[in-house]
Formats: sequence, C-alpha cells, structure tokens
Amino acid sequence: MSNPELALLVAVPILAATLPLLVGLRFDSVGWPIATVAALVEAGLAVFVASRVATEGRYVHSLGNYPRQYGIELVADGFSAAVVLLIAVVTLAVLGYARRGGAREKTYYSAFLLLCGGLMGIGLTGDVFNMFVFLEIVGLATYALVAAGRSGRSALAALKYLLVGTAGASMYLVGIGFAFVATGTLNMAELSRAIPETVGYSDPLVVASFSFVAVGLSVKAAIFPLHTWMPDAYAEAPDTVTAYIAALVSTLGAYALARIIYSVYTPAFFEAVPLAGDALVAFATTSIVAGSVLAVIQSDVKRMLAYSSVAQFGMIVAAFGLGTEQALLGGAIHLVGHGLMKVGLFLGVGVIASAYGVRTVREYANLGYRSPVTVAAMGILLLGLVGIPPSVGFLGKWYIAWGAIEAGAPVVAAVVLFSTLLTLLYVARLLETLYFRPPDDVEGAVPAADVRLRSDGGGDADAGTDDVSADADAGTDDVSADADAGTDDVSADVGAYVDVDDAGMAEINAGTGTRPVSFGMVFVVAAIAVAAVALGFAGPVFEGFLGPFLEAVL
Amino acid sequence: MMDNFPLYVVLVSFFGMFGIFAAHRRPNVREAVTVVVALAKFGLVASMVPGVLAGKTYVFSAGEFVAGIEFVLRADPLGTLFASLASLLWIVTSFYSIGYMRGLDEHSQTRYFASFAASLSATMGIAFAGNLVTIFVFYELLSIATYPLVAHDGTDEARSAGRKYLAYTMFGGGVLVLAGTVLVFFLAGTVTFTPGGIEGLADVANSNESAVQLAYLLLAVGFGVKAGLMPLHQWLPTAMVAPTPVSGLLHAVAVVKSGAFGVARVTLYVFGPEVAYRIGMGVAISTLAAFTLLAASFIALRKDHLKQRLAYSTVSQLSYIVLGLGIFGPYGLIGALLHIPAHAFMKLTLFFCAGAAHVETHTDHISEMAGIGKRMPVVFGAFALAAAGMAGIPLFAGFVSKYYMLIGAAEMGTFAPVGYYLAGALLVSGVLNIAYFWPVVYTAFFEAEDDHDAKPLVDHRPGGERRSTLAVTDGGDPGDEDADADIGPTDLRPDFSGSGSPGERRDYSEPAPLVEGKYAVDANPSDHTTPEEDTRDGGEDRDEARNGSEGRNGAEAHTAAEEADTAHEMDDYDAHHEGPPPGGWRRLSAAEAFRGEETTWFMLGPILVAVTGAVLVGIIPYELGFLELIELIVEGVLSGTEVPA
Repeated sequence: MSNPELALLVAVPILAATLPLLVGLRFDSVGWPIATVAALVEAGLAVFVASRVATEGRYVHSLGNYPRQYGIELVADGFSAAVVLLIAVVTLAVLGYARRGGAREKTYYSAFLLLCGGLMGIGLTGDVFNMFVFLEIVGLATYALVAAGRSGRSALAALKYLLVGTAGASMYLVGIGFAFVATGTLNMAELSRAIPETVGYSDPLVVASFSFVAVGLSVKAAIFPLHTWMPDAYAEAPDTVTAYIAALVSTLGAYALARIIYSVYTPAFFEAVPLAGDALVAFATTSIVAGSVLAVIQSDVKRMLAYSSVAQFGMIVAAFGLGTEQALLGGAIHLVGHGLMKVGLFLGVGVIASAYGVRTVREYANLGYRSPVTVAAMGILLLGLVGIPPSVGFLGKWYIAWGAIEAGAPVVAAVVLFSTLLTLLYVARLLETLYFRPPDDVEGAVPAADVRLRSDGGGDADAGTDDVSADADAGTDDVSADADAGTDDVSADVGAYVDVDDAGMAEINAGTGTRPVSFGMVFVVAAIAVAAVALGFAGPVFEGFLGPFLEAVL
Repeated sequence: MMDNFPLYVVLVSFFGMFGIFAAHRRPNVREAVTVVVALAKFGLVASMVPGVLAGKTYVFSAGEFVAGIEFVLRADPLGTLFASLASLLWIVTSFYSIGYMRGLDEHSQTRYFASFAASLSATMGIAFAGNLVTIFVFYELLSIATYPLVAHDGTDEARSAGRKYLAYTMFGGGVLVLAGTVLVFFLAGTVTFTPGGIEGLADVANSNESAVQLAYLLLAVGFGVKAGLMPLHQWLPTAMVAPTPVSGLLHAVAVVKSGAFGVARVTLYVFGPEVAYRIGMGVAISTLAAFTLLAASFIALRKDHLKQRLAYSTVSQLSYIVLGLGIFGPYGLIGALLHIPAHAFMKLTLFFCAGAAHVETHTDHISEMAGIGKRMPVVFGAFALAAAGMAGIPLFAGFVSKYYMLIGAAEMGTFAPVGYYLAGALLVSGVLNIAYFWPVVYTAFFEAEDDHDAKPLVDHRPGGERRSTLAVTDGGDPGDEDADADIGPTDLRPDFSGSGSPGERRDYSEPAPLVEGKYAVDANPSDHTTPEEDTRDGGEDRDEARNGSEGRNGAEAHTAAEEADTAHEMDDYDAHHEGPPPGGWRRLSAAEAFRGEETTWFMLGPILVAVTGAVLVGIIPYELGFLELIELIVEGVLSGTEVPA
C-alpha cells in the first residue's frame, strides 16, 4: 500500500512553495525557475501515475501506513489520474506563458505552487476530511493570487471570493460532519460501504449531509446561482492567475462533487432519494442556460468567459447528476476538455491584453489580422467550446447528450443540445468582432490612450507578434527557425520600447499593463488549440482510460 | 491503394488552404494554387468514378472516433455523384472568382480563396462520409468554413447575414442533426449508412414508431435547414450579400446541396425509403417541400433584387429534390437525384450572369435592367437558356429531372392520393418559374431603357406601368448628378492593363508593390494594394508606428492622416450607380460580343461552360455519367423493397 509517487505529487509543490521565499532572501527572480522545476517533476510523476493506472487500474497509498478506517488514503484511478494529468499540463502551460507574461514576485510563485499542491490533493485524496483541507488550501492560495492584481477591484474580488468560498467550504464541512456522525468514518471507500449498512440512504442525516456537501461543492464549481464569486475573481485577477484558476479551481470543485457522489454516496443513493439527483440536475441545467445568457451580455472578455464557465460547469454537473455511464464519461471528458480550452482562451486574452491593452469585446475589433496566430487559436478554442467537431468539446457534448437520452431525461438532452446555440451566441459575437468588424467602426471604444499606445511602443510590440505569428502560420517546420527570429525581434523591440519610453508612455504602460509579447506566449496558446483539436480524436482513449473507473462506480 | 482516395480528396483542398495563405503576397501564385488544387481534387474524384460505376466502393477508415463509431470516408455512388459535381463546378467557379474578385478589387481575397478551399474540403467530407457522425463533423465544419464568405464584406449587413447564417445552420447541425444522430445511435446501435436503410431501425420502427418518427424529423429538418426548407430558409436570401461566386457555388451548389444530400442520405441510407414511407414522415417532408417550393416561388415573384430572386428560386428548386426523395418509388428518386446536378449547372449559370452584370454595370435590380441585353448579349443569352431549364422546358437540364419526378408522383398517386397533389405542385411551380424568370429575360432583350414595365410586375397595377431608368427621369435628385456623369462606357470594363487611375489597377503577375520596404499585404491583409487604400484600412497606425520607430518624428502622423483623407476622397469617386449610363446601354456589335468584350473571359468562360453543362445534362444525362450513377444508387437502395400495390 505504499506508492510514494502519489504522496510526492501532493508534497512536491507544497514543499517547493516555500523555496521562492527562502531562496529569495538571497537571490532575485528565483520564483519562475523553482516553479518550473517543480512543475516538471509533477508532470513526470503525473505521467508515471497515469501509465500505472492505465496498466494496473486503481491503486492507493496509505499515508503513514495507517489502516484506512482512521488513516488517510491517496487514491489513483482513471478519473483522478486524468485530472492529475490535466493539472500537470495546465501548470506547465501557464508557467510557459508566465516566463514572459507573468508576474515577477516571489510570493506569487509560492502561492502558485501551493495552489498546485492543493489541487493535486483534491484530485488524489480518498478521505472526505482531507479533501476539505485541500479545498481550503486551494481556496486560500486562490484568494491570495486573485488579490495579486494589486488594484482595489481585485482586492474586492478576492474578498468576495473569500466570503463566498469559505461559506461553501463550511457547508461542505458540515455535510461531512453529518456523514461522520452517521457512520463514524471519513474514508470514502468506508463511507460508501457504511452508509447503506449502518443507517441506510434515506436516513435524514445522510440526506442532509449530501445536501450540504452538494451545495458546498456547487459553490466551488460555480453553479448558478452560487457562481457570483467567479466573474469578479476571473475578471480582476492577473491574466496568468485567471487562466490557472479558470482551468483548474472550479474544475477540481466539480471533480470533488463527482468524486463524492460516486465514491461516497454512490448511484444507489440517487435511486433511494431521487429528489437529490433531480434537484442537482435541475440546478445544473438552469446553470447552462443562465450562464450562457449572462455571458452574452458581458462587455469584458474575461467576464464573458467566466460566465461561459458557469454554463459549461452546469453541463458537467448535470452529466454527473444523471448518473449513467455515458453521461459520467461525458462529464469527465468535458471536465478535462473544458479546463484545457479555458486555459488556452484566458492565456489568449492575456496575449491580446499584453499586446494592445484591450479587454472588452468591442475593442477586439479586427484583431484577427493583427495577431493572426493567437486569434486563430482562440477561434479554434471558442469553436471547440461550442462543440464543433473535431474537438474535445464535441466529445464531451456527444457523450453527455447520449447519456441524457440513455437516462430518459429528454429535457436535459434538449438543453445540452441547445447549449450549442447558447454558446454560439457569445462565441459568434467575439469571432465576428475579431475578424469582421472594422476597427474604425468602434466609436469611442478605443480610448485615446490606446491610440497613442498603438502608434508608439505598443505598435512595435505587436509588429513583433505579427512577425512571429505570420511565420508560424506558414508551416510547422518553420516555427522553430522563426522562433529565434521572432524572439530576437521581440527583444530588440523591448530595447526600442525602453528607449522611446517617455513619461507619457510610462504612464500608459502602468495604466494598461501592456508588455511585449514573447514567442513562448503565443506558442502556448497555439499548442493548446492544437491539443484541443487532437483530443477530439481521442474518444476511444478516454473510454479505455476511464472505463475501469466507470465500471467500478456504476 | 485507391481506398485512401476519399481522404485525399478531402485533404487536398485543406492543405491547399495553407498554400493559399502562404502565397498571400503574390495573387497570381495564390490563384494558381486554387486552380491547381481544384483540378487535383476533380482529378482524384474522377479517377474513382469508373471504379464506382463498376460497383466498387472505396473506403477509408481512421478508426474509432466516438463510442464505437468509426470515422469513415467511403466513396459510394451517391457520394461520388455529389463529390464529382461539386469538385467539377469548383474549377469553373475558381476562374470566375478570379474575374469577379479582381473586377471589383475586393478586399481580403486571400481569406476568400482560403475559405473557399476549406469549404470544398468540408463538402467532400459530407459527400464521402460513411456514417451520421462523420457527416455531422463535416456538416459543422462546412458551416464554419463558409461563414467568412458570407460575412466577407464586413458591413453591418454582411455581418448580420453571417450571424443569421451561423445561427440557422448551427441550429440545424449542432442541435437537430446531432440530436437525431444520438437518437438513431441510441435506437439502432449503429449510425453507418447502409443502402436501403439501417436494418435495426426497421425493427425499432415497429415497436417504437414515435421515436423513429422523431429521429427522422430531427435529421431531415436538420439537414433541411441548409437545403432552405421552409420555415428555416431565411438565412439563404440574407446570405446573398456574399460575393456572387459564393452565392453561385456555395449557395446554389455545395452548401444547399449538402443539405439536400443529407436528406437523401438520411432517407435512403439511414431509414430507407420503405421505413420513411411507412412511418409517414417521408410524405410529411415531401408535403413541407411542396409547400416550400410554391411559397418560395411566390416570394420570388416579388423580389426586385436579382440575387434575391435567384435565392428564392434556389429555395424552391432545392425543395424539388427533397420532395422527390419523399416520393416512394424509383422514378421519384431518380428525378430527385438527377435534379442535384441539373439544378447545379443551371443555378450556377444564373448566378454567374447576375455577378457579371454586377461587376460590369453595377446593376443588381431587375427594374434597372431594361435593355441590358444590348450591352451583355452573351451573358443574358446564357441567363435565358438556364432560366428556361429552371422552368423545365425540354432539352434543358431541368426537364429531365422534373419529368422523372412527375412520373414518380403520378405512380405514387395510384396508391397514395397525396402523390397527385405533389405532381400538381410540381406542375404549378413550372409555371411560376416562368413567371419570375421571364420578366428578366424579357426586360433585358425586348424592353427599352426609357420605356419599360415597372418591375416587379406583381407589385404594380395589372397591365403594367411604364417606367424609364434613364438619368433624365430618375426623379431629379441633385445628389445623383455627378455620380451619373462619372460613369462612361469606358469605366464599365475592368482594366487589367495597369493604365487606369493611379494605383487602382495593377498587374497581378507581379508581387504586390512594396510600401516603404514592406509588402502592403503584410500590414493589411486585403489586397487592393494601393498605398492610399492600404492606409485607409487601419494601415495608418502601422505606418505611423513604423515611421515613429525610425524617425520618431511627430510630423509623420500628419502625413498619414492626410493620406487617409485623400483615400476617402478617392473612395467617393468610385461610388457606384446602378442602371444604364446616360443615353442608354451601348449596343455591342456581333464582333465585340464574339470577342467577349462585354466582360472578361474569366467570367464569360465559366458562364459558357456552366450553361453548356446545363444543356448537356438536359440532352445526354446518361452519357455524362450522372444518370448512370443515379441508376446505380437507386438500384442499390431499392433492392429488396417493394412498391405497395
């Protein structure tokens, strides 16, 4: 029962989180290298775990070799391995972007690694109280990172998230408290056995415990109407933070919900208490519609994508609530796929904000021709979000729709299918602006500061991007060659940029936070888009990987 | 070895798209890429035709895609019919596109040609898809690939058309077709196209008829959206804002036919004609189609904008195909399938003619076309021939297919009276076709600019009102004066010699001119290439940025702004005016007409090829291979089914 790689997956980032602060006492700029080394170790461990799961199936690690009745277990099965892989990949991608595009502070990387460790913990733990601990680690690290935006608005957003998030976590704690009172254990596997044996599914204590847990985790997964913390937190956090938390934090919240439903209460609970499952599905379905509609009316792109997450998590949780094999598979695929697509999209937003300092849909006018690769990658990801095949977004939608029909829930099936159109509402709006709205058409949207920006250093920076992008377009073979050229360009531009930086420029710079775009930043976004399309062909892989898990829980 | 050909057919223009992007600096190379790719695509398809006629099926499988469903491309007779038609007409349209886009100095031509290539890739995928999931993948990709073409102009109108287009087609695809696909998979456990229908589905139809009915409706209406089936046809007339070659190939051949083709696949290869008839849905869809074809014809009567009228004609003609598919029995099917190529050739001709008139004379409305036959005799002659075919006059393409459908409908009438009504709808529609096409031909050749009937005829007093389109009596709006005066006969032809107004035309065989050491297309991806125009399109920021980084001179900004002003003035100068020039259309002599001087050969050639095709399909459909393929399809589909007595 000793498989230390599971413990290491959680421990490495948490221990590494102390290093930027400690080493930082002596050296500057150590945050990024330390975080990257930790992320590479994590990626290696994650691949190792995933390959072990693929060959051996589920396996556990008991911390301190205590028996599971009162010890803590870390569990690797198909579902958790998939999520761990996602965390590792997204961490690497965000760090790849953050080398040029991220913050420089050491504390930032400490919080980042802490967050990574907490997420790994949620993904792997087999103990409901331990999961609460990791939820809190994730929560605290996220509050700190959101507040790293260093503006009043981001502080407010962090505070809002803190209040709502803590309330959610407390609900979860109350819920598992009830379960503990009913059964006397906190281990998931033990609980799933003890609940029917000791008190039965329809015992008020169990039903109450499920309700608290479900509501608490729905806050984390940002299900309408418990989503209110999310748009503010996403919109006000720094771009790298947004990308990271949008891809992972709510994802792990939804993962925790699925894990609790299937590994603790089990589908038999839904059969005994149909109202529980129905209510969950009803809220989730409402979330799909409400999130999409709210997304359409946003002017800020990050806020729009945040509401889009509300809708997408609605779809995922609805799938988990349906409880058929296909729906659960679809939910798991969409969980991973959505995380991947959102990290790409938010990083793309970051690239554009870096290059042009624009953040609203209107100001995106015609950018499709100024940053062709970034915008094309974003376009592909957006279409993936709509569920256009071949993309990982389509895979998720297909299995969820099929699961809904299989479960005899035509309303859910109809909403999931109509969500195509709902998603299209805001996706088409953004795509149209990016490619077909002439920039001079946008009255008053590009503020005077931006005009100056574009005619000065900002223009140089984006000229650099365009060069990189245009060349990357020409063919993958050229990319590596052009990469150097592109980077040189950019660094040359950086020099020029500083030279021309008169007082006015510096002011604009501080105001909009623009900085030169590196090849790496664009490359990360493009690579994620390619991955999202490639995963669209990976249906059988997902099926094979998650199959044993599905069989075990259903 | 040839089993991979369906894949190559799809990929050739997909990779061609990247070639087109790569060649964006050299328009002639870029267009050469388009033409070469089009030829290669047609070559690949054509090389499969003999094998398919001999009964072979080329199957490429990429392995499992979702849930035990493979990603399959297979060239069977029906797919080959559609693929050969679309790839053949793409060649024709490519040449026409060159003439049209250059004639109008359109912007973003690289995007245009690239999207066109991508659209054709998706169309081939639809043609060769071996199951419902694969066809869904390409159906969605086609919606995406054609969106840039619809929204090409970037004006409010074009963008709104693009939105509408996406909304309608995504509703049809991502919602209805996907729902139907999932339902069929759930009911039958497979979605593979099988001639004569998926076997399991027939059994399910006995036990759970309403579920099968629902699945058929979802799929047929879902594909019907692209085929312009009412009441989901609205996107098509709106999409006419796209450049005319797009309207021609995509909105008369590739996209709308994908819809009709999808209905054919669903009816013949998923449910099978027998099940479709038994569950009552085939007839229901046919009835909807009959309503559509009559209603669309009536609407077409009232449209003054020629492309709008053609769009409603497309809606109407596509419903012939859908109607024919619902007619139970071999003749209805043959007629429906033959109407796919027949309508393609005719409608392509009509759109090409409308586009030629737009490029040469900026005339879009029928009410402005009195006497235009003098100016463009060959173009409107071709228009008249194709229009005759549309109405189903013998010796033209439309007659053969309609004749088959009429026989089929009458035959069906012997056991289901609804067949007679369908036949009646077809006959009435023929009359309506004449009613909305004849005025165009009539006004072009037999009416005078200063004395003609007010168009559209149905909007005015019975017996007609006399009108004149000449400048003298156009209402005397003072704003029109100089615009009228600017258009002389010499302005009516695009001039590729490079001697026109400065920077307006250029020699396309050379790379784009360098502007301050850089290619204008790099700063601004349109290629109307004049420095002034480049500046106008937001390029000034870029120029300014570049100047600024070199010289850091504030005065540069003023220069750029002045340049921009000049550009806007030039744009005003180019303002277009519809209708004949003062004094009426110039009459081309026979020699001039023979030399193709009414327009460029880039446009005239494709028109002549398309109209020749329309005539040949009417005279020798069997020799062209189309009818032979169709008989093969119908044979395969109907083997084993019996016509109820």
